[in-house]
Amino acid sequence: MKPVFRKTLIGAALACSTALPALAEDISWIYCGDKIDPVHEKYIKEWEAKNDGWTVTPEVVGWGQCQDKATTLAAAGSPAAMAYVGSRTLKEFSKNDLIVPVPMTDEEKAAYYPHIVDTVTFGGTQWGVPIAFSTKAFYWNKDLFKAAGLDPEKPPTTWAEEIADAKAIKEKTGIAGYGLPAKTFDNTMHQFLHWVYTNNGTVIDDAGNITLDSPQNLAALQAYKDITPYSVEGATAYEQNEIRAIFLDGKAGMIQASVGAANLLKDTKINWGVANLPTGPDAKGPGTLLITDSLAIFKGSGVEDKAIEFAKFITSPEVQEAYEGGGLAGLTPLRPGPAVDAMLAANPYWKPFIDGIEYGGPEPLLTDYKGLQNAMIEMVQSVVTGAAEPQAALTKAAKALEEYK
Amino acid sequence: MIKSRSSLIFAWVLLAPAIIYVLVIVAWPLVETFRLSFTDASLSRTTNYVGDKNYTKIFNNTFLTVILRTFAWTFFSVLLKMIIGTFGAVLLNSAVPGRHLFRILTMPPWIVPMAIGIFMWGWMYNGQFGMISGLLQRMGIVDGPVAFLAYGSSAFWATIVTDVWIGVPMVTIYFLAAIQSIPKDLYEAAWTDGASRWMRFRRITLPLMAPAIITMSMLSLIATFNSFDIIWILTQGGPSGSTTTMIIDTYQTAIGSKKYGEGAARAVVICIFLSLFCIAYFRVTRRLAALEKA
Repeated sequence: MKPVFRKTLIGAALACSTALPALAEDISWIYCGDKIDPVHEKYIKEWEAKNDGWTVTPEVVGWGQCQDKATTLAAAGSPAAMAYVGSRTLKEFSKNDLIVPVPMTDEEKAAYYPHIVDTVTFGGTQWGVPIAFSTKAFYWNKDLFKAAGLDPEKPPTTWAEEIADAKAIKEKTGIAGYGLPAKTFDNTMHQFLHWVYTNNGTVIDDAGNITLDSPQNLAALQAYKDITPYSVEGATAYEQNEIRAIFLDGKAGMIQASVGAANLLKDTKINWGVANLPTGPDAKGPGTLLITDSLAIFKGSGVEDKAIEFAKFITSPEVQEAYEGGGLAGLTPLRPGPAVDAMLAANPYWKPFIDGIEYGGPEPLLTDYKGLQNAMIEMVQSVVTGAAEPQAALTKAAKALEEYK
Repeated sequence: MIKSRSSLIFAWVLLAPAIIYVLVIVAWPLVETFRLSFTDASLSRTTNYVGDKNYTKIFNNTFLTVILRTFAWTFFSVLLKMIIGTFGAVLLNSAVPGRHLFRILTMPPWIVPMAIGIFMWGWMYNGQFGMISGLLQRMGIVDGPVAFLAYGSSAFWATIVTDVWIGVPMVTIYFLAAIQSIPKDLYEAAWTDGASRWMRFRRITLPLMAPAIITMSMLSLIATFNSFDIIWILTQGGPSGSTTTMIIDTYQTAIGSKKYGEGAARAVVICIFLSLFCIAYFRVTRRLAALEKA
């Protein structure tokens, strides 16, 4: 055999052998975070054992790059089979024909808390499987309430009371009464949406009409304007976690935050309480923004059906319950059940995070999510800095959203 | 003839790697960006040619404001770097005890990884926990926390100060080398004639440093115009777009909103401006070289 021919054969054999793993039945999973959760690791093995010849290969990608990686791979035509994404991006992926629908049965839908399925639904079908859930509640510093002559055991229940309490704290203690985040950052929009959903407001309706410019949302924006003078100075310099740090330092009287703040507050000397988010004049009950992350199944991987099957398995009640860890993971449970009842009994501070779900609302699903985010941030900042009046800012943002929907 | 042809082929073979490298790394992305700028490229699998729509769409009042802001940001940043760099170089060249230590101390902003330096400035600008706000309060200049990144004008200047902090060491060291190349006898003659320190600086140092200042200004102009990290880490272009420069605007459009076609059109505009700066730079350096020869 001539050396050149022999080398060619060896080369071809090597090329074939390296291509073999790609031919195996594998579900690649873009997994956001620093490491794979041990619960997921355990159940991946269990699923692989039940599905002979199939493997699941999670690729751990940091939160900062996770979304971009999944998007870039899909746009380049070499998508991962499945990716952990913010549910807000599902519409954009779907409209660009990058993901496949993941329809739920009525039984599956009914198992979730109200509105959870809405966060992954548009056009009458579901486009992802919820895997993580976050709600917010109201925290107050009891010592600052006392110093301001307020009843430390009586948190505000309405916006009017909240603004009045913030004013009292600011004027009587010199410390900011409220922590209002308004930085050029995604959670500036999230925080405003808490106010929208505690006043029965919406941003987009089921028919896809922009409903931002409404009396409910105008009241929310007006409340933002009214509370700003008593908030942490320079609201546009701080995002949600920076405001939380200020609260943890005892330099803000009230904030709206996730359950993570409760876990951090346990390690401080702050005398704190947590309650339902105060409501606006049109509220029907306690509300909150409902943020979910989902597993999206990308088109073109060749294993879409099996990936859907795995996604449903890894988010099934038993696995999800273990993943949520009875609240220890800082995630609001996706489904009610005995485990949630046990969690509430052990940690009563979880109650407002669950109570807000009933009248809560999802992150608006628009085709250009970044466009939505920028328009909402601009709206909030213009009101907080006094550059625009609430009505003008609201009308301008609503007009911009027409382009992004 | 045969020899010259083989020499020519040999020369092309030697040049080929560099040519291929430039074509693949520089030319192809440029051409591709230019092509994309005439399309509606987005996340969608299909891309259509849209003529000059992207260009007509971006040339509105908002984009013109962004262009003007970019020029203002670049101008003040480069100007401050040149002024501080010049005086820094003069001071470091002075015969003072411990000047070698001072020369070393100018280096940290250059040595520290840029992102770390920017985060450090971000903390210093923080109203609640930041050093600057704390100092101002202790000195009684302000009566409460001042969040420098919260307001349009202060955020604009805060990002410039950070850019100047990062850029000054390189300028200073470059100027120091230029000063050290000035013949000492010129200063000795001027000193003998009774010229003051200021006169010696104005009549000897500054004119002989001029080529270095012009060259460094042009290079700094190009780098600063395209500066992304500082603004992105400190403000992400906010608040209310007051620190959004052309490069930030391009990133937000192309990567944030995934409007690759519109983003490419913005990138082409940046490219045109930078090309003009480069042409100016080459002309100036050529003229300086001619002057030196003369």
